[in-house]
Amino acid sequence: MSKVVDPEKREINFVEASASACPQAAYREILSGCPVGRFALTGAPVISRYEDVVWALRHPEIFSSAMDLQIALGTERPMIPQQIDPPEQTKYRKLLDPRFSKKRMMELEPAVRADANGLIDRFFDKGECEFDRDFAIPLPCNAFLHLMGLPPEELDTFLRMKDGIIRPHLTHEDMEAAQQYRIQTGKEIYAYFRDMIVLRRKEPKDDLMTYLVTCELQGRKLSENEIVDICFLFILAGLDTVTATLGCNVAYLAANPEQRRKLVADRGQIEGAVEELLRWETPVTAVPRLLKQDVTLNGLEMKEGELVTLLLGASNVDDEEFESAEDVDFARERNRHLAFGGGAHRCLGSHLARMELRVAMEVWHERIPDYEVKPGETPVYSPGIREVQYLPLVWPTGS
Amino acid sequence: MRVRVDSAACVGHGRCYEIAPEIFEDDERGHCVITREKVPPAHQDAARRAEANCPEQAIQLLTGDD
Repeated sequence: MSKVVDPEKREINFVEASASACPQAAYREILSGCPVGRFALTGAPVISRYEDVVWALRHPEIFSSAMDLQIALGTERPMIPQQIDPPEQTKYRKLLDPRFSKKRMMELEPAVRADANGLIDRFFDKGECEFDRDFAIPLPCNAFLHLMGLPPEELDTFLRMKDGIIRPHLTHEDMEAAQQYRIQTGKEIYAYFRDMIVLRRKEPKDDLMTYLVTCELQGRKLSENEIVDICFLFILAGLDTVTATLGCNVAYLAANPEQRRKLVADRGQIEGAVEELLRWETPVTAVPRLLKQDVTLNGLEMKEGELVTLLLGASNVDDEEFESAEDVDFARERNRHLAFGGGAHRCLGSHLARMELRVAMEVWHERIPDYEVKPGETPVYSPGIREVQYLPLVWPTGS
Repeated sequence: MRVRVDSAACVGHGRCYEIAPEIFEDDERGHCVITREKVPPAHQDAARRAEANCPEQAIQLLTGDD
């Protein structure tokens, strides 16, 4: 019997920590054995098929995102717009979407390109780096600083605040101490942005923060709480996700040199590769939704108030949607992947992420076309958001 | 070939104007706007790929009348 699923009991024993490096096989077992089931450990429902996940994403009136209390992230109020539902959510998206449009993000491209080159300059001659620490972590964080109009010296502050929320256990082993630290970090984030609001009100600049303090929502300015609730989301959603995706992409390309050579030979393939690796790797493996009513799907009864996991990673390797789903094909003709979610909550930063990923892949492979994982070493993936927390790479330096 | 978009379904993934900029562009929010409802033969392949890469299935191609 499969270890991943128990079709009789409709249970999923998806041990993320062990599956995180290479979850695709487990996803496919879930899809075939238990496409709608419950986690054996928690009893929480899990929806995996592409068709079902798309349906859930498009029905926020049933599958709600209003769940700030259910997930302890150090927040005092729901993050905006991620943790509120339409129609309220739509008002905020109308305000924020234009600031995250493809056109806007293209304006940031030269700065991101310069950052990528600058980071590589630091370690290029050594012929090795730890990809996560030296490239994947600082690059998106710098992009965020550009966007917000903050100086590069703020990098360490933001990295500390983000880690204090996302992985407090790194600095605090004890569970309770970790949660206390998380709450304390949350307060620090609120205070940081409240200070910034004051600064931009006094002295407006041409940046996102100035936009947030000056823009109008149906004839009124945003409140201080609304602004900090938006900024909290930026820190949580905008930094780690691109870091994780960069790591997953480069780890894949290090392990698959024949695929990497395609990109190096033809830069025109990079966009297709970014999309295909978003599908295949799906670094944000799942999104949660709170049931607003009882739902029976594929014979499984789910109750109002249950917290459902939509397993995006599994949907993205579903044979019913993707032709030869197990092949990684940079020239895939039809790719409706859900790596950025879908429906009303489609990732607000998806155009920023795509630009960062494309530019990073271009610059990296221009500078370092030939690389591999350091012999004797193994990349380490984190559970949840699949960050490759340890990815030692080596390349020939020519000396 | 003609192309249509279901504006209520579009949420601004932006795959269409990335893949087929001759047919689609983005509005202020990054949602899809059709610039050429009648797709010239040279761009029909791109229009097909745009349709095949829309996660919301918001794009519809109507063939047979060209």
